[in-house]
Amino acid sequence: MDPAEIIQENFVSRLKAGDLSGYASALTLEEAGLTGPQLVQLFHSQILSRRLDQISRTLQKRGESFYTIASAGHEGNAAIAEAFRLEDMAFLHYRDAAFQIHRAKRLPGQTPTWDLLLGFAASAEDPIAGGRHKVIGSRALNIPPQTSTIASHLPKAMGAAFGVGLARRLALVDTPLADDSVVLCSFGDASANHSTAQGAINAALWAAHQKLPMPIVFVCEDNGIGISVRTPRGWIEAGFANRPGLRYFKCNGMDVLDTYRAATEAQAYARAQQAPVFLHMACARLYGHAGSDVEAAYISKAQIERTQTKDPLLHTAAILIDAGIMTADEVLRLHDEVARTVTRVAERAITRPKLETTEDVMRSLTPAPRAVPLANEPAPEERARLFGSDAAQMKKPQHMARLLNWALTDLMLEHRNIVLAGEDIGAKGGVYGVTQKLRQRFGPNRAIDTLLDEQSILGLAIGLAHNGMLAIPEIQFLAYIHNAEDQLRGEAATLSFFSNRQYANPMVVRIPGLGYQKGFGGHFHNDNSLAVFRDIPGVVMACPSNGRDAVGLLRECVRLALEEQRVVVFIEPIALYMTRDLHTEKDGLWTFPYDSPGTAQPTPLGTVHCHGEGEDLAIVSYGNGFYLSRQAEKILKDEHGLDIRVIDMRWLAPLPGDAILEAVSPCKQALIVDECRITGSQSEALMALFAERAPEIRTERLAAEDCFIPLGRAATLPLPSRDGIVAKAVGMTGAKDQ
Amino acid sequence: MTAVRKTALVVCPGRGSYNKPELGYLGRFHRDKAVFLEQVDGLRKSLGQPAVTDLDSRVRYSHADFSRGDNASLLIFACSYADFLSIDTDRYEVVAVTGNSMGWYTALACGGALAPRHAIDVVNSMGNLTHKHLIGAQTLFSLVDEDWRPIPGRRAELMTIMDEINGQDPDTLFISIELGGVLVLAGSDQAVDALIARGPKGPGALPMKLQNHAAFHSPFMRQTSQEAKASLPPDWLQNPAIPMIDGRGKIWRPYATDAGSLWDYTFGTQVVETYDFTTAMRVAMREFAPDCVITLGPGDALGGAVAQCLIALDGYGFDSKAGFIELQKDAPVVLSMGRAAQREMTVKKDNSP
Repeated sequence: MDPAEIIQENFVSRLKAGDLSGYASALTLEEAGLTGPQLVQLFHSQILSRRLDQISRTLQKRGESFYTIASAGHEGNAAIAEAFRLEDMAFLHYRDAAFQIHRAKRLPGQTPTWDLLLGFAASAEDPIAGGRHKVIGSRALNIPPQTSTIASHLPKAMGAAFGVGLARRLALVDTPLADDSVVLCSFGDASANHSTAQGAINAALWAAHQKLPMPIVFVCEDNGIGISVRTPRGWIEAGFANRPGLRYFKCNGMDVLDTYRAATEAQAYARAQQAPVFLHMACARLYGHAGSDVEAAYISKAQIERTQTKDPLLHTAAILIDAGIMTADEVLRLHDEVARTVTRVAERAITRPKLETTEDVMRSLTPAPRAVPLANEPAPEERARLFGSDAAQMKKPQHMARLLNWALTDLMLEHRNIVLAGEDIGAKGGVYGVTQKLRQRFGPNRAIDTLLDEQSILGLAIGLAHNGMLAIPEIQFLAYIHNAEDQLRGEAATLSFFSNRQYANPMVVRIPGLGYQKGFGGHFHNDNSLAVFRDIPGVVMACPSNGRDAVGLLRECVRLALEEQRVVVFIEPIALYMTRDLHTEKDGLWTFPYDSPGTAQPTPLGTVHCHGEGEDLAIVSYGNGFYLSRQAEKILKDEHGLDIRVIDMRWLAPLPGDAILEAVSPCKQALIVDECRITGSQSEALMALFAERAPEIRTERLAAEDCFIPLGRAATLPLPSRDGIVAKAVGMTGAKDQ
Repeated sequence: MTAVRKTALVVCPGRGSYNKPELGYLGRFHRDKAVFLEQVDGLRKSLGQPAVTDLDSRVRYSHADFSRGDNASLLIFACSYADFLSIDTDRYEVVAVTGNSMGWYTALACGGALAPRHAIDVVNSMGNLTHKHLIGAQTLFSLVDEDWRPIPGRRAELMTIMDEINGQDPDTLFISIELGGVLVLAGSDQAVDALIARGPKGPGALPMKLQNHAAFHSPFMRQTSQEAKASLPPDWLQNPAIPMIDGRGKIWRPYATDAGSLWDYTFGTQVVETYDFTTAMRVAMREFAPDCVITLGPGDALGGAVAQCLIALDGYGFDSKAGFIELQKDAPVVLSMGRAAQREMTVKKDNSP
């Protein structure tokens, strides 16, 4: 028998029999701080949530619902919604339908039954995801959508909580989160083991330990099991009850009075102390993991039956009857009315339109552009004061690291909501000095030295975006992104998609990386794979090859984030940071003057740079590959008489296909030079581009070997070299030595 | 037979629904509700006001007399509530009630949050107060064309003119009621006249300034709200028996209603803030999905607004006035008790009390 039916029968039969022993609360309404009507509202939210779980299963059998992960057994979280303010941003667990339903009652005009059913039915009219996923979420209710298969939403919740205090310290006005708001995030006991949960809680404590405001409540909804693996008895309490700086509250999620009491205390503490709280709510998983899950395969019958008696709805019914607010008959009537209402609403909701075309589906991949307040136009004196001694050097050409530093300075001066964050970017000024002096110029709140945890750094960036700031987080080395990629891939990049453009988390992630560093070898500091960013829909990736472009590209990246709310990755080739010369020592050809804001042409997304007009060969490259190709170009001209052109892609994602083809078009041959590994590199996309759209152009490629980068002088062996490019070009063109 | 009952949303009309064709409404349809009507007339007589049944049984309709707040309110309430009592509950299960403007007081009575005798007092008091403080005016603008299809840019145009007038004289014009395809605006006499002069015209006779109407649902009504709060006892309001949807789209549920909050809303918020009937309809249709909508009499003017709300919601089988009229012929989704044929479909056959 379907567990949904068993639990339903149990509910009805016990009420009819008046058998509610064991379901009472230890508290009175007064002790919990609730009124009778409030309790009935909570009960209604719980019943509605339960009924939605039930009908989703029924509709699934008819092919009309596409989601059966139930909230049954977790409905106590309605009491958490009651305890928090509507304005408190909530990043919710996927079993928190009752929370959303109950919060909806705070805001007149909401239609939670209809909305959740549209979600189950994957209707294009689902007000949060537009039919793209069944998520718990609502713009009006301050619930950013989460799919939260794991606790991957916790880092950004931590970031948003940090953003509450940060906005205050930066005196930003009109930020989305109120100064006295608290951020709430909920997750399951199994997810509590995930590195994202552990990392987010650790980051919150790390900040709070330094007395930085961190008004966050971590709600662990502990049903004792993660799919089929039991959480060891007492594990959550053992792990979190005695963490320094983490205030721990515990409640029985079966009992809304106890849950409301604890949640009220938890939010009050977090709000007043601006400090992290862990709210441990015991609950039950009544319907198994999901509709398709057969619990009997891994849990004993006796255990399943024991769990099925733990019904929070029976608890609330017992409290209502004990308190004389409703009789058992009245409870049953309400239960029946909700069931019949949901059935009617469901039959209408499933008729609503679905996503019909690919264009419909893809419409929300990128956020909607927004009106951005005019940039702050700093007075020349203020700018001069801020740049200090650097101002005098601006007349001279500089290397990329210095130019990036100045560009960041100007951007931070123009946009007061830009915040830099990363490991060693503050006091030290970055491993390569790119963020030098920014802390002195803008203070520690805008050049934040973070803890050593990339997931938290990216979560911070997302969270700050939720409070109206534009984070420019730095991942210290490209290789370090891999332990945190889901914060971009699963979280930041999907937010617009799963919220139907209602939420966005613009940011520019700066990542030093790629190979060719002299004297500092080894794979982890020379990682040459960007594949991780190439296939994420909607994400923009830029990679400059020289300082002048770096400035133009960074400004465009910030514009894309500010105005178009895009998630942007800015790859900085470490080996080119300090590079000054191109062909010979002290030729200074790879240094460039600083283009002050307003003095240079922009570098729009999708445009490429073409050096030279030769038609013997086109080399298509980026980053170090472009630099080496420029070296090769001179040799090819001087020694082989070849007149070629070298194209800098600048933008690696989305691939600027049209611009590349146009730049290459006068040539009959193209050589792709890619410093990333041959498998998964840009070269794959470029080969496909030429094969599909310009098959008449003979195309070859020179890419890095499928190998990790070794140490010492061997570091460049697996990578394309200047001489390798020359040889390949000569081979392709049949040119002879001159 | 409850299994075959149709579920219904009951919608209570506001001011302006008792006009010349409705003269004699109580006499025609509600002679069987003597007890209720005696309660209504009893209050009027105790206050020295003309009895409602006397007004209803007059030979001639006088707009000046019948549209006055102190007469119109209770007259309309008496007709509406009597209609509600006439609904055949063997055939219809009322799953929710809502109303437009003063129809909210009727909804409170239908929902059971106000006992009929208190509802009579509330409606009469509010009618008297609005007549006493006849401050400002109300006007109607259409947001839809003759066939009830949205007029592109009409709302924005109106809002621009409204902002301009408010820019010259701050806080003088407000959105009074969101009424389906009609936007009711309220403000000072001068501002309403200016809006009518400058605002978009048509279709039909709109825009129209409403005679004997004050700047309802706007801050102009603060005095009325304060006097109502001072004179009407908070303990009159109680938990409803049927869910009620207010003029913001908030649902007041049985057992779950805080009477104090309901009192604050009824005599505070809704008196001085926009009454959003369109949102109330959206919430009602989506959260209760009734099989049909029953609009109480007198009159059937609200049927159009209800239909316009359904067009906006989509999914009810029509997207224009013509489509609505066609659908209503065979399988009406909106049953107006002010229309003879549809009234027949809603009332008990013998019309016994």
